[in-house]
Amino acid sequence: MIYLNNIFIIFITLIGNTAFAASPLEQFEITRPFGLMEISGIDVSITNSSLMMITILILLNFFLLLATRKKAIIPGKLQSIAEMSYEMIYNTTKDNLGKDGAKFFPLVYSLFMFILLCNMLGLIPYSFTVTSHIIITFAIAFGIFIFATILGFVLHGFKYLRLFLPAGVPIFLAPLLIPIEIVSYISRPISLAVRLAANMMAGHTMIKVFAGFVVALGIFGIAPFIFIVLLYILETLIAFLQAYVFAVLTCLYLSDSFHPGH
Amino acid sequence: MNKKGEVEKSLNKLSKKIDYIKEKEEFNNNKSKIAYTGLTHAFRIVSELFANVLVGGCIGWTLDYFLETKPIFLIIFLIIGIISGIYTSYKSSKKWQV
Repeated sequence: MIYLNNIFIIFITLIGNTAFAASPLEQFEITRPFGLMEISGIDVSITNSSLMMITILILLNFFLLLATRKKAIIPGKLQSIAEMSYEMIYNTTKDNLGKDGAKFFPLVYSLFMFILLCNMLGLIPYSFTVTSHIIITFAIAFGIFIFATILGFVLHGFKYLRLFLPAGVPIFLAPLLIPIEIVSYISRPISLAVRLAANMMAGHTMIKVFAGFVVALGIFGIAPFIFIVLLYILETLIAFLQAYVFAVLTCLYLSDSFHPGH
Repeated sequence: MNKKGEVEKSLNKLSKKIDYIKEKEEFNNNKSKIAYTGLTHAFRIVSELFANVLVGGCIGWTLDYFLETKPIFLIIFLIIGIISGIYTSYKSSKKWQV
């Protein structure tokens, strides 16, 4: 494992040092634009990641306040964007959780909008993609996982454990099926986190690699340049899609704590 | 007057019941038809396969570390992880197909 890891690191540094002026992984580096701040030895400085998150929260609040201020019957551009996103997530929540579960709509909607803006604003050159760091996506996913588990136990008590042995399964299969179901249950937040972070990181690294080709090839750099433009379209689609998948899977996991054993 | 009120009350109750049943039916019909595109589904399956193997390996390695039975639990739980990865992606595909 360590051997493989070393090969990977050597490979990455080779690419970074020989082919391009700047490493394609430099964009994921955490920096402290306002310098180091410490409170009794604990590092609490504002990094570029947390600065981006604060910006996104402020932007999101201002956008929604501005969009819904008029409350026109025939919506303008801004208002129809807000209404479209609202309706889309509301329908997803209702389809997956039923009318009772629609009370979790605020959770799903704020998650979706936050991740969507993180992905989209990360595509702007010189900005920072918050969701490309696996620890951030994992923190969000693990929060959902803990919430869904507690919700399941609150709603169903110990009957919630029936999730691990679906109805109609012969009892002699139980020792085989229960470990499988437990592993599959624990892997949920990891699969959520890995999917989002890997998609974001892979896309941004690829764009940076091809941007290196543009510089290295001189006049023939027009070919990778066109490719980057097309790649940006795909990245925009993926940025939206990943945010939506995150919201849908949050709904699915919450629906498992509503109706275990289905 | 009193009778009319009672009738109205029971009618209201009935309409509430009908609404509830209709909603329930609609919910059961829509449950399997989640709006999905092929791309989202592909991403989902890949990450599920990967995460299950990873979790299985981690559980096995941790058990080995504390029980000092070096490769046994790692092998067992890796196999369980692979099986559960395939099983989970099979289940999510089935939900998508119907």
